[in-house]
Amino acid sequence: MGTPIKDVVISDSAPKSLLLDKHADYIAAYGSKKDDYEYIMTEFLRMSGMYWGLTAMDLMSQLERMNKDEVIEFIQQCQHECGGFGASIGHDPHLLYTLSAVQILTLYDSQQSVNIDKIVEYITSLQQDDGSFYGDKWGEVDTRFSFCAVACLALINQLDTINVDKAVQFVLSCMNFDGGFGCRPGSESHSGQIYCCVGMLAIVGRLHLINTDMLGWWLCERQLPSGGLNGRPEKLPDVCYSWWVLSSLKIIGKLHWINKDKLVKFILACQDDETGGFADRPGDMVDPFHTLFGLAGLSLLGDESIKQVNPVFCMPEEVIRRAGIKMDLL
Amino acid sequence: MHGRVKVKTTAEQQEAKRKEREKKLKIYTAATEKIFEKRKNKEYDEEALKITGEILAVNSDFSTFWNYRKEIFLNMTENKPENEMIEIFKGELQFLESCLRTNPKSYGVWNHRCFIMETMPKPDWKKELELCNLFLEYDERNFHCWDYRRFVVKKANISPEEELEFTTNKICNNFSNFSSWHYRSKLLPLIYPDENSTIGVEENILIKEYETVQNAFFTDPDDQSAWFYHRWLLGRGKIKTGVNCMLIDRTYQMLMINTTQPVMISPSTCEIDVLLNGERVEGTWRTHKQQTDVYSSIWIFKSTEDESWIPMHEDAEVAMAVVGEDWGSSDSVQINSTQTVAWNLTHEEQGLRFRDELSAATTDTLQRELDSIQELYELEPENKWVLLTIVSLMKALNPKQYANDIEIFLSKLITIDSSRINYYWDLRSKCLIENYLEELDFSTRVISLQNQNISCLVHPELFSMVVKIDLSNNKLDSVKGFSCFQCAVDIHVDGNQIKDLEELSFLHGLKLLSIKDNNISSLESLQPLGKTSILKLYLFGNPVVENIDELEVKKIIPSLHNFDGHMM
Ligand SMILES: [Zn+2]
Repeated sequence: MGTPIKDVVISDSAPKSLLLDKHADYIAAYGSKKDDYEYIMTEFLRMSGMYWGLTAMDLMSQLERMNKDEVIEFIQQCQHECGGFGASIGHDPHLLYTLSAVQILTLYDSQQSVNIDKIVEYITSLQQDDGSFYGDKWGEVDTRFSFCAVACLALINQLDTINVDKAVQFVLSCMNFDGGFGCRPGSESHSGQIYCCVGMLAIVGRLHLINTDMLGWWLCERQLPSGGLNGRPEKLPDVCYSWWVLSSLKIIGKLHWINKDKLVKFILACQDDETGGFADRPGDMVDPFHTLFGLAGLSLLGDESIKQVNPVFCMPEEVIRRAGIKMDLL
Repeated sequence: MHGRVKVKTTAEQQEAKRKEREKKLKIYTAATEKIFEKRKNKEYDEEALKITGEILAVNSDFSTFWNYRKEIFLNMTENKPENEMIEIFKGELQFLESCLRTNPKSYGVWNHRCFIMETMPKPDWKKELELCNLFLEYDERNFHCWDYRRFVVKKANISPEEELEFTTNKICNNFSNFSSWHYRSKLLPLIYPDENSTIGVEENILIKEYETVQNAFFTDPDDQSAWFYHRWLLGRGKIKTGVNCMLIDRTYQMLMINTTQPVMISPSTCEIDVLLNGERVEGTWRTHKQQTDVYSSIWIFKSTEDESWIPMHEDAEVAMAVVGEDWGSSDSVQINSTQTVAWNLTHEEQGLRFRDELSAATTDTLQRELDSIQELYELEPENKWVLLTIVSLMKALNPKQYANDIEIFLSKLITIDSSRINYYWDLRSKCLIENYLEELDFSTRVISLQNQNISCLVHPELFSMVVKIDLSNNKLDSVKGFSCFQCAVDIHVDGNQIKDLEELSFLHGLKLLSIKDNNISSLESLQPLGKTSILKLYLFGNPVVENIDELEVKKIIPSLHNFDGHMM
């Protein structure tokens, strides 16, 4: 007998309209409860957490509710001597948090409040001979870090400081039989990783190297009967994977290959109508991470009450335009 | 953040939880503070291992603490005798295994395990392979574990043959195992390399793989893993870089080339010399969108020495030479004294232009596959994977001969797989356009594809030399790709669903656009036409026309002489 499809059922009582005000209140409150258990336990990713929350607020046109000065001061305190940023004060520097820091600074148009030259120095020091990037000095290699490096440099307009051709070659060496990409050469395709690699290739203008028919087909097959998208075959749907698949499809010009109405319905059903915020799946606990990706997904799907999102940087399109970044999507 | 179900709790339960968390938090905060303090004091001792261990056991993504642990191990290795260290390292491996049992998908834990194995004296790689077997037993799709396995395999010198055997066993246990199929796609080209095959695997091995994968989908025809793998086996061709068309135009004093795949023409990547009657001409290359330093299939050369570098009323020869690369080296085009335009088309053998998309297998193999999948179709007439695979095979074998069958199967797919209808519509458009282009006599410079329900334009770069294009009464919702129509004078796209005209701004020679009955809804949408020298515009039947002011239109498009049949 065949294996049953893994999916969720959306109940009739699930939210069907966008609860923008609740989401804004949820995010605004999240950052203010600094001695909350949840908040303290996630300190190891604080910088990214702040990027998720602030970008979500900006997409909802409510960024002014957040304390800009406090955020910038925090970011300044997270920059290390080497130029990289840690997730929080006293935490070790890493490309993941360096990108989040630069994204927040760009959101606030405040790049000049940190040492940009040092950031460039940090990122270039992490590129290896094969074009790959270490995430930090300890040497883990992953295509996520190739994206972080390139996205970061693009935001500060310093792409020519690394060997772009080699970086592209490394990303291509992680391409798979299904047209997707994995963490390292040999690794299985995964939508999060695909988003990173497709985004990286978009930033450096090499999208023609992707087999868009093959990859687009694999990506649109991520949509399940519930409307939600999964990250790999035979997995459950999830709001964050919905974003990664959707943004990748958008970048390669195949967004219309999935059923938009069904996906909208799924994302809306992942809202919590009591607390605000989005969860990974209907009925689960919400968090800022899925809240950003829920909103960003709805924006790509054409919801006009949310600002237009840039599919590569997951930031408002107007911010990317202001940063002077031009990209040709397919 | 994943898979935490929200449970309704009473106020009493909430209070109890709050108190418990408060207690936990106190211990947690005290511990983290102590760790930072100890690290600052460069204390690399057992106590540090103990406290970081307690935190990491509950919060395995706290990478700074893993880093501290790494420092501790590096420091201890320098200061303790080897036999003592081996025991400490072994303890670490045990600790990591217990972390993995609670959190098998933690990047931090797997990464730290790599570090420990690479740092410890006399690592037991075989035992690590057993650990991988165990964790893949728990979850055969855990990609962290698969990646760790590939790391171990390299270190332990395990042969790809043994690993292939492992995937065979995994697949026999459960066909629906995408991770194993994926691994096979990486192992086969290593074990049975064949440069002539587009997927890099010997033909006789391919035939065996077809059997294995058929076994899988005959057992469970809904299992997508096997179908994706099957698609890979069918292969896809590599397109060789070359020039499809080279065109010179006296009116615009330009040389335009159209390449088989995008190239970047620039001094730092690929330079192309242009020769007029054997003499080198200085000039610049830009894409059809006026860009430089990008990859594109269409490039336009203009001289910087002489605005009218292609002499009027004289025979001439323009040649191009790619510097340092082996494509397009001998292309040239002759223009005689009376011509305004001349071109040189590369003649593709009929029916082969698009065939190399799916061509790893020989025709015999493809035919055999088609036969057996048609058998499955008899049993499973409503199965979308079966239908789509038949379409792919027919398209690979003979798209013209099977055109009707392909149409029927795709229509069926559109009705049974409602989430992906636009994928099938686009695939259908691709088949139709490719079949049309295969038979087209490009030298007529006319393309006429009306009433075909075309939903997207494929290979628009091949339209670059066409003067008259009629795509009326299709399902196009944008003019995506139209910027390639560099020679277009007349464009007819009546009766589509087009919303924007963005790409038309690049069509310098456009004289007539007929876009009746589309979805143009605002005057701003007409702005791209203002950059052309268009004379006639038919806009009737678009929402924007309802209360349009002709003067406004003229303001946006100053060159316009005739709007919806009225002289302006
Ligand atoms: Zn998620």
